[in-house]
Amino acid sequence: MTKESPQKKTMKKLIKAIWVLNWFNSCGFAELIPVVASRWDMERFGMIVVGNPRHADVLFIAGYQTLKSIKRAQRIYEQMPEPRVVIALGSCTMTGGMYWDSYNTIKRLEDYLPVTMYIPGCPPRPEAVFEACAKIFKHVEEME
Amino acid sequence: MIEKEIIDKIKKKFKVEGSIQRERRVIVKTAPDKLVELCKFIKDLGFEHLSSLSVTDWPKRGIYEHTYHAWSYKDKILITIKTEINRDKPEIDSVYLVWGESAQIHEREMHELFGVEYKGNPDLSPLFLEEWHEKPPFRKDFDWREYVRKNFYDKENERERVYFEEV
Repeated sequence: MTKESPQKKTMKKLIKAIWVLNWFNSCGFAELIPVVASRWDMERFGMIVVGNPRHADVLFIAGYQTLKSIKRAQRIYEQMPEPRVVIALGSCTMTGGMYWDSYNTIKRLEDYLPVTMYIPGCPPRPEAVFEACAKIFKHVEEME
Repeated sequence: MIEKEIIDKIKKKFKVEGSIQRERRVIVKTAPDKLVELCKFIKDLGFEHLSSLSVTDWPKRGIYEHTYHAWSYKDKILITIKTEINRDKPEIDSVYLVWGESAQIHEREMHELFGVEYKGNPDLSPLFLEEWHEKPPFRKDFDWREYVRKNFYDKENERERVYFEEV
């Protein structure tokens, strides 16, 4: 067995129990409730929703962010411990979605926060959310 | 009919246009300088709850149309008060002293979105917008698409060029 890097050790601990902080600004929250509820049940993967950014590993950002709320999102991101992951849900975070010509929403989240992964869809299906999580798990397993 | 009684009472005291829209809906049109006096009067009639305050922009006619909705718990009637002011110099007396905080927050929002000055309102600081230096965004002559192109998109970017094409 090859020796694992310290980074991989940390990440392996992290993916055993992913603690999620939700920062939802719009319809994204209503669409992600099925992921928490019993049918898709994200707890079987060890994912729990926490109420404090200082406990969270993953930040879920769903829907458009206004110019006012993105400042709060940045402050939440700064409070999270390393290693931290930002997952952006929905088409609004990528291009602005249907708010592409709105004067008070941001258009691309990556201009404001380092986004690890985008999940497309309006809204994304719960399966898409889990596929993204599976990709993170796979990425950690393939790490050196 | 209670609606007719209310209209008659208002018409007796003020020179206004008033009519019954339908059951439990009364509409009154007044001049802006008589507004506060009228609001005080209808509050004494039982219209305690200011449920909404909105502004409509009519650029061709050059006016802002204010619409106040007040509800009477006693008679279960919704009254609409309409008044028109000049949109280039939008100033109107505040109804803060009549309905208090519920009027204050509505007026603060309308001040931000339409730029209306409410004389007598204690706090008109920005409510939703931060660091806004343009003209009020809900005015019809505010071109939000032009604003978005200038602030968010780059014409040289191949992926964003589509936003600059006229449809």
